Amino acid sequence: MLFSGLTFLYCFLPTVLAVYFLTPAKGKNAVLLVSSLLFYAWGEPRLALLMVGTIGVFYFCGLAVGRETGHRRLWLTASVAIGLGLLGVFKYADFFIGSLNAALGLSIPLLRLTLPIGISFYTFQCISYVVDVYRGEVPAQRNVISFGCYVALFPQLIAGPIVRYPQVARELAQRSHSLEGFHLGLRRFLFGLGKKVVLANQFGELTRLFRDSGEPSVLFCWMYALAFTLHIYFDFSGYSDMAIGLGRIFGFRFPENFDYPYLSPSITAFWRRWHMTLGGWFRDYVYIPLGGNRVSKGRWVCNILAVWMLTGLWHGASWNFVLWGLVFALFLLLEKQFPALTRLPKGVAQVYGMLVVTVSFVLFNAESLAQAGADFSGLFGLAGLPGVTGESLYQLRSFAVLFLLGLAGATPWPKKWGLRLSARYPLAEVLAMGGLLLVCTGYLVDGSFNPFLYFRF
Amino acid sequence: MKKKCLYLLVPALWLALSAALWLGPRQEISQWERRKLQQFPQANAAALLSGRFMSQFERFCQDQFPLREPFRRLKAVFGYNLVHRLDNNGIYLAQGSATKLDYPLNTASVEKAATKFQAVYDRYLQGSTGKILFSVVPDKGYYLAEANGYPAMDYAAMFDAFRAIPWATYVDLTPALDKTCYYRTDLHWKQECLLDAAALLAQALEVEIETDYVPTKLERPFYGVYYGQAALPMGPDALWILESDTLRACRVHNFETGEDGPVYNLEKSTGRDMYDVFLSGPVSVLTVENPAASTQRELILFRDSFASSLAPLLLPGYARITLVDIRYIPADNLEKYVSFENQDVLFLYSTPVLNQSSMLK
Repeated sequence: MLFSGLTFLYCFLPTVLAVYFLTPAKGKNAVLLVSSLLFYAWGEPRLALLMVGTIGVFYFCGLAVGRETGHRRLWLTASVAIGLGLLGVFKYADFFIGSLNAALGLSIPLLRLTLPIGISFYTFQCISYVVDVYRGEVPAQRNVISFGCYVALFPQLIAGPIVRYPQVARELAQRSHSLEGFHLGLRRFLFGLGKKVVLANQFGELTRLFRDSGEPSVLFCWMYALAFTLHIYFDFSGYSDMAIGLGRIFGFRFPENFDYPYLSPSITAFWRRWHMTLGGWFRDYVYIPLGGNRVSKGRWVCNILAVWMLTGLWHGASWNFVLWGLVFALFLLLEKQFPALTRLPKGVAQVYGMLVVTVSFVLFNAESLAQAGADFSGLFGLAGLPGVTGESLYQLRSFAVLFLLGLAGATPWPKKWGLRLSARYPLAEVLAMGGLLLVCTGYLVDGSFNPFLYFRF
Repeated sequence: MKKKCLYLLVPALWLALSAALWLGPRQEISQWERRKLQQFPQANAAALLSGRFMSQFERFCQDQFPLREPFRRLKAVFGYNLVHRLDNNGIYLAQGSATKLDYPLNTASVEKAATKFQAVYDRYLQGSTGKILFSVVPDKGYYLAEANGYPAMDYAAMFDAFRAIPWATYVDLTPALDKTCYYRTDLHWKQECLLDAAALLAQALEVEIETDYVPTKLERPFYGVYYGQAALPMGPDALWILESDTLRACRVHNFETGEDGPVYNLEKSTGRDMYDVFLSGPVSVLTVENPAASTQRELILFRDSFASSLAPLLLPGYARITLVDIRYIPADNLEKYVSFENQDVLFLYSTPVLNQSSMLK
């Protein structure tokens, strides 16, 4: 079930909200857990059992790790191994088998398992939970419903933000609700929905048109690169907004996941503003335990490469994702080695950052390394494509306003102006929210293009 | 207090739409999209475990959403007028006429169509002494696309591909048509504008046809297929038919149903697609007998839906016209219904079909 689907918007969510707010405080977590499992089962009926099993295993591991005596380290190791094992089997097994077959000329059969939706998100949450309990940052959760609620909470279940247990531990025990909180959550949700439906889906449509095109051109290649860059941003940040908004409605404060990353003046800054919860997770649970930058230079370089290879691999079991991660590692190392790169004039630095990110997303979105190579050849005029074609000019004209809206929407200005306006005219804000709901509904009723990129992670 | 009341407005709107989705009346078909709408899916263990129930339920919500057409219209207007997308669902408005984007030229499809027609010729027409003609019907994009800044297929290349067929005489219909010869809300051409095109074909076939018809306007407004697909605000078309004593006397035999009927089946004017009044719409094989014919000549017309409105205008020149639509019947099965005995043959296909010829069997 997608947040940007009519089933969620007009069937699931109103029902859950009604039951949730009619249930006494004691039972609210149970309502959230049951509805989260139903939410998950809607998309993956059979794999909901895997989710329940994961909750059970990590609940007991957390208790074992949280004891003052006993084999705490062993339990920690076991639980991390279980989490990584789940990812290894369901997400990466076929990638490794395929790579092994290709490298050694073997023919080991692939497992062809269905990828459980959101497995990368919820296993990371589970692993961070046991590590945090082991480190003594939080006590283990003794209430299995509260723990299940943390792991499976549907607002952030399938696409994050990656919430760490200490961030919501107190709210799982006690949280407050108010009409204003509900309104603010709803506002955040609706603007996220608008980002997803009105912007991301349209840019996604342009990327599809590019792939289906019989008349590629250099211009079309660049439009594709920019369209995908905007698509993935509005898709993912829109989904994060919806998750944060829903969390607010239910009384949770989820961490922010994006901070206008396309305005970053460097790649280092970009990764402080893009998918912040993932970056923070790798920093705290991989990079720093490996020694971070308090090691020899050679070891530090290895740490950076390892973290970014894993970051790439987290996004998908394919070599182009590994390469994508390593490209960022390269730029991060370059920026550390040549600090002048981060001291460019602001505008130039932002163009540099945006250019690297845009080109990197071409690699990210390629089906294979061969396709990535073809896309790069097209981008840089090496594929013998014409500069422009009638089709690419048409699509440029057709998407021009959307590109402008998208580029403007990736800056903080619309939000600033919107907040200023709503402070002065509260009715305007409510009308904008209602209008957005109706327009998004129109797009969804029309059955418009509505994929969700981060579903596969 | 006032602020709190404001906060309740959006949830109230949301709740109202949810309630209407659950409690509102169910629709069987979408008149504008000309398709059946998804009903509430059957829930059983197999459907739930396989995810079939869920996917059908998603479709159900889309299809049965309250105020579905106004919502589709809202999306279309928002995209077309506010975001300035140049098309909605692949359909654009140019000079008041809805037109489908159909580009680029699919050369593989054109070759496949040519191969299919060659196979028909080899199997049924080789050695025939009748005239064999080929003509391509340009869609209205030919007249509207480039002139209005929209991408268009390479029409000249398509025409050339079929002009090169050695066993058929090519008839160029483009001089006999213009943008006003097509319905604004539909892909088809208007029968009342086809007299020149019919004359060109008749001249090549060396038959005499009538030019004196009584145009009759059907009562119901005609909302063509693009009207529903585009969901853009447009007025309806008027559908006219050209009547004459000859055409009134003709009888159409439908090989699918075994029934006979008139050239203009007015019962179809109240159906989903008013264009079906011409020869009762899409049928794989049908014959039209002209009892008033002063000749024994016959025509076999390989065609798509565009021919439904043109074929009646060729009737005065023939005792019988057999219309064959190989989108609905494999070309290899034609012997069951059609005897190929030196009749005149006309291949009349529109550019959209030739550019997507996988539908030819």
